[in-house]
Amino acid sequence: MAERLVGADIAPPDLHAKITGRARYAEDFRAPGMVFAKLLLSPMPHARVRRVDASRALAMEGVIDILRADEVPSRDGPREACLTDTPRYEGEPILAVAAVDEETAAAAIEAIEIDFEPLPFVIDPLESLRPGGPNAYVDGNQFSGQDGWSDFKWTDTDFAKVDAGEMPDPSCPVEWTKGDPESAFAESALVLEETIVHQSLTHHPMEPRSNMAYWEGETLHAFVSTQSSQQTKFALAGALQIDPENINLVSEYCGGGFGSKIAGTTVMQIPALFSRKINRPVMLRITRYEENYVGRARPGFQTWLKMGFLQDGKCNAIDLIIVQESGPYGAGDFNTAGMIADLTYTPQNMRFRGVSMYTNTPPKAAQRGPGGAQIISMMEPILEKAGRELGVDRFEIHRMNAPRGDVQFGPRNATLTSVHAVEALDQGREMFDWDAKLAISGKRNGSKVTGVGIGLSPYTAGSRGRDGMMIIRPDGKLYVHQGIGNLGTHSIADTARPAAELLGYNWEDVEIVWGNSARAYPRSTVQAGSQTTTAHTRANHAAATDALRKIREVAAAALGGSASSYSVDSGRVSGPGGTMTLGRIAERAIAMGGEYSGEVLPDDVHAQTVPAAQILAGEGLMGIARDNYGGEGNIYSWVAGFAMVELDEETGVVELKEYVGVTDCGTVIHPRSLGAQVFGGSIQGMGMAMTQRWVFDPQWGVPFANRFYTARPPGFLDIPADLKWGAVGIPDPQDPVGAKGIGEPPVGAGAAALTSAIADAMGGRCVCRTPLTPDVLLAEIEGRPMYGRLEQHVG
Amino acid sequence: MAKIRDMIPAFELFQPTTVGDALELLDEHRGQAWVLAGGLDSFDWFKDRVKRPSAVVDLGGISELTGIRELEDGIEIGAMTSLTEIERDERVRSGFSVLADAARHVATPQIRNQGTLGGNVSQDTRCWYYRSGWPCYRAGGNTCYAAAPQAMNREHCIMGRSRCVAVNPSDTAPALIAVDAKMVVESNGGSTVHDAEDFFIGPAIDITRMTVMKSQDLLTRIHIPAKWADADFYYEKIRDRGSWDFQLVSVAAAFRKSEGKIEEARISVNGVAPFPVRLDAVERLVQGTSGDESTASAAGELAIQGARPLRHNDYKVAMMRNLVRRAVRSVS
Amino acid sequence: MDIWRRAANPWGQDVLIGVSWDLMWSAVIAAVAFVIGHALWVRTRKEEAHEPPADVPAGIPEKIERHSFASRAFHWVMSIAMLVLLVTAFVPVMGWQFNWVDLHWQAGVLLILTVVYHVIHAIGWQDFWSMFQLGVSEGIATLKHILSPEAPAPPKAGKYPFDHRMYHHVIVVVSLAAIITGVLMMVRIDTPLWTRNPYLFSDTTWGVMYVVHGLSGVSLILLIASHIYFALRPEKRWITWSMVRGWIDREHYLEHFDPAKWVVTDVGMKSADGAAPGTGAVAEQIPSAKRED
Ligand SMILES: Cc1cc2nc3c(=O)[nH]c(=O)nc-3n(C[C@H](O)[C@H](O)[C@H](O)COP(=O)(O)OP(=O)(O)OC[C@H]3O[C@@H](n4cnc5c(N)ncnc54)[C@H](O)[C@@H]3O)c2cc1C
Ligand code: HEM
Ligand code: SF4
Repeated sequence: MAERLVGADIAPPDLHAKITGRARYAEDFRAPGMVFAKLLLSPMPHARVRRVDASRALAMEGVIDILRADEVPSRDGPREACLTDTPRYEGEPILAVAAVDEETAAAAIEAIEIDFEPLPFVIDPLESLRPGGPNAYVDGNQFSGQDGWSDFKWTDTDFAKVDAGEMPDPSCPVEWTKGDPESAFAESALVLEETIVHQSLTHHPMEPRSNMAYWEGETLHAFVSTQSSQQTKFALAGALQIDPENINLVSEYCGGGFGSKIAGTTVMQIPALFSRKINRPVMLRITRYEENYVGRARPGFQTWLKMGFLQDGKCNAIDLIIVQESGPYGAGDFNTAGMIADLTYTPQNMRFRGVSMYTNTPPKAAQRGPGGAQIISMMEPILEKAGRELGVDRFEIHRMNAPRGDVQFGPRNATLTSVHAVEALDQGREMFDWDAKLAISGKRNGSKVTGVGIGLSPYTAGSRGRDGMMIIRPDGKLYVHQGIGNLGTHSIADTARPAAELLGYNWEDVEIVWGNSARAYPRSTVQAGSQTTTAHTRANHAAATDALRKIREVAAAALGGSASSYSVDSGRVSGPGGTMTLGRIAERAIAMGGEYSGEVLPDDVHAQTVPAAQILAGEGLMGIARDNYGGEGNIYSWVAGFAMVELDEETGVVELKEYVGVTDCGTVIHPRSLGAQVFGGSIQGMGMAMTQRWVFDPQWGVPFANRFYTARPPGFLDIPADLKWGAVGIPDPQDPVGAKGIGEPPVGAGAAALTSAIADAMGGRCVCRTPLTPDVLLAEIEGRPMYGRLEQHVG
Repeated sequence: MAKIRDMIPAFELFQPTTVGDALELLDEHRGQAWVLAGGLDSFDWFKDRVKRPSAVVDLGGISELTGIRELEDGIEIGAMTSLTEIERDERVRSGFSVLADAARHVATPQIRNQGTLGGNVSQDTRCWYYRSGWPCYRAGGNTCYAAAPQAMNREHCIMGRSRCVAVNPSDTAPALIAVDAKMVVESNGGSTVHDAEDFFIGPAIDITRMTVMKSQDLLTRIHIPAKWADADFYYEKIRDRGSWDFQLVSVAAAFRKSEGKIEEARISVNGVAPFPVRLDAVERLVQGTSGDESTASAAGELAIQGARPLRHNDYKVAMMRNLVRRAVRSVS
Repeated sequence: MDIWRRAANPWGQDVLIGVSWDLMWSAVIAAVAFVIGHALWVRTRKEEAHEPPADVPAGIPEKIERHSFASRAFHWVMSIAMLVLLVTAFVPVMGWQFNWVDLHWQAGVLLILTVVYHVIHAIGWQDFWSMFQLGVSEGIATLKHILSPEAPAPPKAGKYPFDHRMYHHVIVVVSLAAIITGVLMMVRIDTPLWTRNPYLFSDTTWGVMYVVHGLSGVSLILLIASHIYFALRPEKRWITWSMVRGWIDREHYLEHFDPAKWVVTDVGMKSADGAAPGTGAVAEQIPSAKRED
């Protein structure tokens, strides 16, 4: 019997290279004649380039050429180009210079004389909503494809309320209502109203988005750092307006992205365009400092929340207003946040209003659990506050409000494929020993107070309809072609496992093919929204099913008997007519041709899959299929996080003592990797809740905390040595494999467990802003709050 | 000039092997030379192209500057001794644990392996306006960006300001004050010994420097007199993260006790002023007491007298008060 | 030599931030050179004999009050303020560091108070116009005489001779420039007076202000140095003394001043040999002399 691959801990094939340093990231590649580019970044948050004189720079020895904004693709409206003469944030790339080495390129940038005309700018979105307030663009602060720019402001009446610390009643571009919140609030036994600020923070993946490119005739060789491989190739082709088949995209390893490198990044275009201009390979190494600007950030929220509860603790109404700090190019987090609030607290009556405001801060993008992580970390302590005020056990209030299988949420009453949030809570309660912990909540030890809290966090976790493609070659091995990216999550290997298991393979005989588009990828998902596990276990399962059928048919043709009577195990196919190695089967399939060797493809595979399959056709037995399993409803995973903290009331320092994260993500494919995701995501959330910041000087519109040590993502000593995780492990019933994604839900759980536990340690007082650093907490304890209730970008 | 970061411009590197040679080089390149110890502060400046010395004098090859020696009166630590060595040295740990403790609180093990004691006390402030190359007073300009009405100054000072409101970032500095260390500064003209508390200067004296040292000076040794050996020490540093983080406020204290009473004390706080502050008045206040709760409270209140917070650092007042309180309380 | 200090502001724009300290050194060198040069130059000139008038007009007391106590007090307080300002501004730059800013602005405030007092006093109680008369012909004559000893000595002056008046005018302009910019600059530093706000003006405007402040400061090095030098010169000491004692003697009066222009009567004089002259016998109390221009 072949080993079981699903549910086992198996080291992914790329681990060795990573540990030994042999792994090649984009910046490790070299090409003959390669030159280095450096960027000139805008010094102002909003400006127009008036004059550029590069003559001195170009005259320097070793300087090759300059690339300007008018040589790169651009579009009107709030859309990003890779170089611009109208920068909309400090740090936006204006031009690039290429030179034989980086030192020369840097010196050349310094030698460029450039003159900017400063324009009005906005850092705090509320300022742009104020009547008469500045806008992030010369033409306005809202944009629609049909109507172009407009100037959207709230009224003086709205701001009278805002300034008085009350919830305003503004009109917003996005608005939906469900049920009858008005009357529901009237029936509520308790109504809580809060103003909450969630910070904006950079992604700061370990690997900055360096990349290199060169051209061979019409073919572009791009060496990039991206979360998604196959989709990135198409995105880059789209941006450069070239035929995707003329791109050879190499992305073997990616040092993290967290949503900032989903499918191509804008800076990827620079080496491609520059190398076409100068006809030499161009390497653009992005430094940590530059990454801080061009590397994307999570949008911050300024939020008014009204939550109504019945006597028993059930949330019966929510009124939520979110002002989103969206940077110059927008983001969609706030929409998701509204949906997730409805999903997690099932109020039945909800009004959501949201406005995404352009600001002159570095661009925003999805960051692990976009919208969901923010709203959960903001709302969970409020839910617990309700429990405290109503005398309902805090665990119970989470449990009773959590959705069951029949949940319908959002304005269009979306449904889920499966939901086991309650089971995750129950399991977490056991593992964390909630009841015992609750007993010590509020206990003092000198100046230290213990607090416990829970964060229940959902996030989308799958999609359907992608293609799978694999081939069994005459060497008998199974080659699974993975068009998803390799950003450190192990999904290139793990999503192949159910398929390999279906084909009776031992893992040592499975080769994962990834990292270079010349090696042929099927149409894949972007590796975002935690889709990959679901989407590609399904797609690979479909392809494996196709391969299995073909193996049996080839075997039956060779050995006799009916195809269905043949079975596979450990590289052999056996049945009534005898047994054969899959290597022999592959040879026969090649000989048989047609669909067996991939010469003929299924009709329903994506057009993008076809040329890839054609590369492989005739080299073995091909399993290729579209995921046609179908399904109803959205795929969501859940993490219930439980945290215990100790707050030092004399210093404001919080120490996280214990954390348990339990997930409902369906079938567990790779326990160790799953645990790493639950921990990694939770820790990222803890950083959001407690340490990580981004700070802007309002006078100059310029961010600080641009470095790792000033941005302060959490470190090793900020987490307890003994983190625990668990999984409910109930397969999703609509899925052939049953696995759901896990990348994103833990972030909100880690963050919210902490914001809740800290509020508990503060005696139930919510500070209602993140990050909860010692200064903020100490100031609150001292009764001298640090920041204005709505201040954004302060830390 | 357009801004480029993370790329060190070229400089001439000198690697003397004796203090004499180093001093000569510094004299020769007066004003243009930069002393390089572990480089953790230096390279930050170079990398960001904000400070561009034409000559760098690397002390790494001067063996007489490293190591810890026992003297008749206490111990002597070479300026180039690594923070790790200080953290681990048995004599420091047993006799002057407050210094070992302070060294252990610096950043991360990697940084402590590379960072030196001399560099740690000589390092420049981390005010991010200044570090960003903005032309503030400290950089020779005519304003302080951190003390503007809306400025981001949560890490800045609550006392001792004079136009500049930055803080001294060193963890070892207050510990050295607590043990009454003597700083031996040499230049081509000879050597001077400064008490640790006088070694650090504020912007009122010179807004462009953090210590008494001028560009041609070298800190060669730090002498810790035996007087405070084996005293009761207290060290605490508050930071935003568990590692890799400068202090918000830190306190270092040494108490000499006899029969349960504080005979003499030295208390120093960092992170609250542009220089580590020695709290003489508090030291006098606690003398003769047992460090009981009421003395501790009074000490805390006295410590923050005259504190003037900026817009975003009001919390430091309470934090300083509480740390001083804790330090005094630790005695009883 | 640089004249300005410039810097790239946080947005990378080139802005002025102050005067170059080279200028300070130049002013110091110029002041020293002037003092030495003048001292040598004076030696080349023959002693000028001021003929004491043959007959002493009646009613001229022996001691003639030149500066009231109030005026003297003003002068010395102001000079202390000025000296403190100069020392606090420049000595740290020269290398001797101390806590200069607080002393500097406090001396600045003192200077302003004395100036305000002085202006009110001069308008209300002194012969304001005795200082603010131009005296073109007197000026030309004075200049000619300085350039060539052969040229006839200028006519005797009123209370404030031409060179004193000119010096005063220059000092007024330069100090006012320093004062006005100094007051505004106080917005940028910590004082108990108001909350510091470096963004009250644009950095370009501030730059100009710093330059004006610096230029006037540097000019004052020259002006004050020469002022002190002249005050200490032997042939001028009698007038310097008047700023201490308040009076000059009749001989000097008659030798250097035109009694028609600086009218002195004995109104209020107690006695010719009285120790201290009272308030009085000075032009302040009689209609001002006819202006020449
Ligand atoms: C990310 C990060 C986090 C940090 N966190 C902390 C922290 O938490 N606490 C803390 O205390 N420090 C911290 N540091 C600072 C670091 O510990 C010090 O910068 C380092 O100790 C400086 O010492 P160095 O040996 O690296 O000196 P260098 O960087 O080489 O020198 C620092 C300065 O001192 C001068 N200098 C050095 N030696 C001498 C000498 N013998 N005589 C005269 N001048 C000299 C140099 O010219 C330079 O100006 C951190 C640094 C980094 C990069
Ligand atoms: C009249 C004689 C004065 C002289 C010679 C003088 C000279 C100077 C000089 C050279 C500087 C340094 C400027 C720079 O850094 O570029 C300075 C700064 C300053 N002066 Fe004056 N000044 C005088 C009067 C005043 C007055 C009257 C005031 C205010 C009442 C004043 C207030 C200040 C302030 C506040 C600063 C510091 C500004 C800063 O550092 O930002 N000064 N002065
Ligand atoms: S605090 Fe000091 S270092 Fe920071 S901006 Fe102000 S003057 Fe510069």
